[in-house]
Amino acid sequence: MNPFSLARPKDHAATHALLTGRRFSLPLLKGGGMDVVDHLKEGLWKPDVVIDTRHLRAPGASAPISKDGQTIRIEAWATMSEIAASDILLKDAPCVAHAVGSAASPQVRNVGTAAGNLLQRPRCWYYRNEQFQCLKKGGGTCFAFEGENKFHAIFGEGPCYIVHPSNLAPALCITDAVVHLHGGKRASLPITDLYHTPDKGIRTEHNLEPGEIVTHITLSPAPVSGFYAIKEKQSFDWPLAFACAALQLDGSTIRSARVCAGAVAPVPWLLPGVDAALKGVDLDDDKALRAACAKATEGARPLSQNAYKLTMLPVAVRRAVLMAAGKKVEA
Amino acid sequence: MRRDDIPYSMPTTNRPRNAGSAISDDASRLDAVAKVTGQAIYSRDRYLPNSLFAGFIFCPYGKAKLESHASEAAKKIPGVVEVEISGREGQYHGHTVGHVLAESPEALRRGLAAVACKWVREPVRTKIRDGELAEPSPNAKTSDILAKADHVLEAEYETQVQTHCCLEPHGATIDHKGESATCYISTQGTFAATDGLSDAIGLPRSKYEVICEYIGGGFGSKLNGAGKEGVLAARLSAGHNRPVYLFRTREEDQTDTGNRPSGLARVKIGFTKDGTILGGLVQKFGGVGVGRGGGGMSFPSGRYNLGDIQSDHDDVRFNGGAPRPFRAPGHPQGAFCEELMLDEIATKAGVDPLALRLNLENSGARKEMLELGAEIVGWKNRAKTGSQAGVIRRGFGIGSAAWGSGQGRTDCEVVINRDGSIEARTGTQDIGTGQRTTMAIMTAEAIGVPLAFVGVRIGSSNLPVGPGSGGSVTTPSTAPVMAAAAARAREQLLTTIANLNSADASEFDVKGGEILRAGKPFMTWAQACAKIGGEQIVGRAKQGEGERGKGHSDGVQFVDLRVDTDTGVVYVDRVIAVQSCGRVICRKTAESQIIGGVIQGLSYALFENQVLDRNAGSMLNANMESYKILGPNDMPHIEPVLWTKGATGVRSLGEPPVVPTAGAVACAVFNAIGTPVRSIPLTPDKVLAALAGGGA
Repeated sequence: MNPFSLARPKDHAATHALLTGRRFSLPLLKGGGMDVVDHLKEGLWKPDVVIDTRHLRAPGASAPISKDGQTIRIEAWATMSEIAASDILLKDAPCVAHAVGSAASPQVRNVGTAAGNLLQRPRCWYYRNEQFQCLKKGGGTCFAFEGENKFHAIFGEGPCYIVHPSNLAPALCITDAVVHLHGGKRASLPITDLYHTPDKGIRTEHNLEPGEIVTHITLSPAPVSGFYAIKEKQSFDWPLAFACAALQLDGSTIRSARVCAGAVAPVPWLLPGVDAALKGVDLDDDKALRAACAKATEGARPLSQNAYKLTMLPVAVRRAVLMAAGKKVEA
Repeated sequence: MRRDDIPYSMPTTNRPRNAGSAISDDASRLDAVAKVTGQAIYSRDRYLPNSLFAGFIFCPYGKAKLESHASEAAKKIPGVVEVEISGREGQYHGHTVGHVLAESPEALRRGLAAVACKWVREPVRTKIRDGELAEPSPNAKTSDILAKADHVLEAEYETQVQTHCCLEPHGATIDHKGESATCYISTQGTFAATDGLSDAIGLPRSKYEVICEYIGGGFGSKLNGAGKEGVLAARLSAGHNRPVYLFRTREEDQTDTGNRPSGLARVKIGFTKDGTILGGLVQKFGGVGVGRGGGGMSFPSGRYNLGDIQSDHDDVRFNGGAPRPFRAPGHPQGAFCEELMLDEIATKAGVDPLALRLNLENSGARKEMLELGAEIVGWKNRAKTGSQAGVIRRGFGIGSAAWGSGQGRTDCEVVINRDGSIEARTGTQDIGTGQRTTMAIMTAEAIGVPLAFVGVRIGSSNLPVGPGSGGSVTTPSTAPVMAAAAARAREQLLTTIANLNSADASEFDVKGGEILRAGKPFMTWAQACAKIGGEQIVGRAKQGEGERGKGHSDGVQFVDLRVDTDTGVVYVDRVIAVQSCGRVICRKTAESQIIGGVIQGLSYALFENQVLDRNAGSMLNANMESYKILGPNDMPHIEPVLWTKGATGVRSLGEPPVVPTAGAVACAVFNAIGTPVRSIPLTPDKVLAALAGGGA
């Protein structure tokens, strides 16, 4: 590990100044610091200053999670544990609480933050290994494409096949979430515009400009929403596939649905085809429900070792829908 | 505290299922508090004043030539003391080619980075199937058996590479003081570790001491003498006359400190319509990486009557780290193949797998254990293989193990001091089984005092010689000798008291920490010890004394699980582990040993897998995040059942509980879904492939 300064600026403006000023050439923002420490240990980042952000409070921030009228607000510094246990979210946007509660381990959730979860880097084992100069690190090859790609993407046109690691982002994508920013030309960005696919820029996953800092997130209530993840290991494992679903129900009939998948693409993967197919489906008609969920794999192009995700994804979607409706799922 | 009151064969009361007895109480591990509070000092915790820090330079690829390096530049990094390149070629990820020595861990990391090795990669082989595998060649007798059989099962069973994942990585801190040296090594053999050190240190054996008070994980890979780490640290410490600290990084520990090798078994087994197995061909391959041997699989195990088996084995080399002993080397992989094969035969023949095993089982004890385990797990609730519909399907499976009981060289001594304190001593180490606890219990019991009276000293080559912890011999070696030494110390004390009272020693006894004369309280322990002439009494005994454990340690395990057929995820609900180990010294640590074995077996069956990049040969999950190990949410209910019927002496318990588990899990998955998954780990992708028809 290389020496670096640790900064604790007093507010967002001072943070912005550190990020854009000339004093440091490789500044790095830190939320909980989990991913930062991983990168430092793996020799991937050599920052000259690590800027702690957990103490920064945006104007109007009170509790880590709050609700004002029909707007739910999650502060950038809210821990994953706080999000998972939030009464507001459990009642008004359970998919968000459940998605975050399913991630990582209790220890990680106790320090990991909302903004950190959204902006963490991918877990691809070639990206994480300093010996592999992959596309993301400025190299010329995606080693996963002809290598070990069991945990990689089945969607997207490449040329990089990471899956986006955030559990929170797909849940936010179906709750009209907006990411609020400080320090740039814009005050906010819809969550669906926060990320880009690798063909639109391979070195980063997000669309933030240098110096832009996430201050908080707002979202709309989605009381009938659910989350389901399929994991190899039930303790501290990255999902093989997961889905978030928000429904409007008419009795047991789906009036409208919004579904977003995770762990299958380089970005949170919206499934408009499934949304459309679910419309009018009676939740008690499992055959119809399964048929609608089967649309989830439309357009998927698996790699050599991850075709199993084609079987899994519709299952995750179906179970997220059932969870949203408060129905029992098999496991 | 009232162990003496518990008759030998009294069943334990709060666990009526325990099919035998625990002679001793439920003593807690003596060092439990020290371990969970951080007071226990592991070798890796030994940061000595004025220490230097050493680390290896290694190849990050499966096969590569070292084209260039900047070791001259690295030497100029502040704090770097020495840089040595000793090799030019790497044959596997982790292959060491030199070292850096520095004033601090930070300077060491900077120095290692500054060496900036440029490697030129070469094509690699990363698995057994990359090698040229011999075609099966049944001899005339085997061909005859197969021709005459009603059915022939043809199958290929595959197992993965499992790494030891010791929480405390391999390494040593060596303090060379000129005339003598102190060597803190994370080792499973304090005495074995002295081998090879003399040359490296340049001192006669009597002038140095190997110390390992606690070890953070010893599953076989720390049985290699002083290890590469100890030898280099010793050499550097001798050369620089300063302590040298050398512990592996996690990446190195995952690649260069051994593993359980992968295996491939091709079987052609002939059997009759009623499930009688006639014999056949078992062709095995062990994936030994760059190793020269060690890829053997215990298959057939000899536990079942499988008729005439022609068994062939080849080790296959590729660009991976060499195997080292790993908790029952060759056995879990063999048991996986054998147990699943038996279930496949049973299903084909329409025979219940339990009935098939009762028929084939060579041991009367294991037959009884099978019957008990079946009753506890509720075998009668098992649905016929392939008969279930529904998304969630339940499965039951069986595995078994047998383990001979050896002894290693052991001297023990028990000291009774004038202040009444007692110390039990032998130089062996505790790899986590509860060595201090069993020694203290044996000593307290033999003398007749409460457990709290006894202190224990272990983990040093300056103490009386003790066994290396390999082959599950540590407790069987030390327990009887410890008891004999304690009995001798007791005899000396009672003789002292008798002489002072001009009586015969046979009139005296010790019970519950009190001295009795003719069965009546005579004096307290402290009063008695105050009469010791000189400072202390020492009772000594050596290997061969005491009651030696005879025969096998047997085990059978039953797994009850669910398979989610939509996702392929396997949820293990219960494992019943019936296990014998001769006499049970301490029920809690014995059960803990069984539970630990089951956990490691489940982790092997379901998750663990060393992933080598097929093109570069690098281990992609050389950490403890993407190298997946079972966690708390994956824990089933594990029920250890100690079987002490006919127990004499103390037998092995370390390795056998890890053997049956993977086979039992595989059988249970087969029972649930109706298609065998012939490859571990049993990950969801493989289960889904089997369900889709691609698995068998």
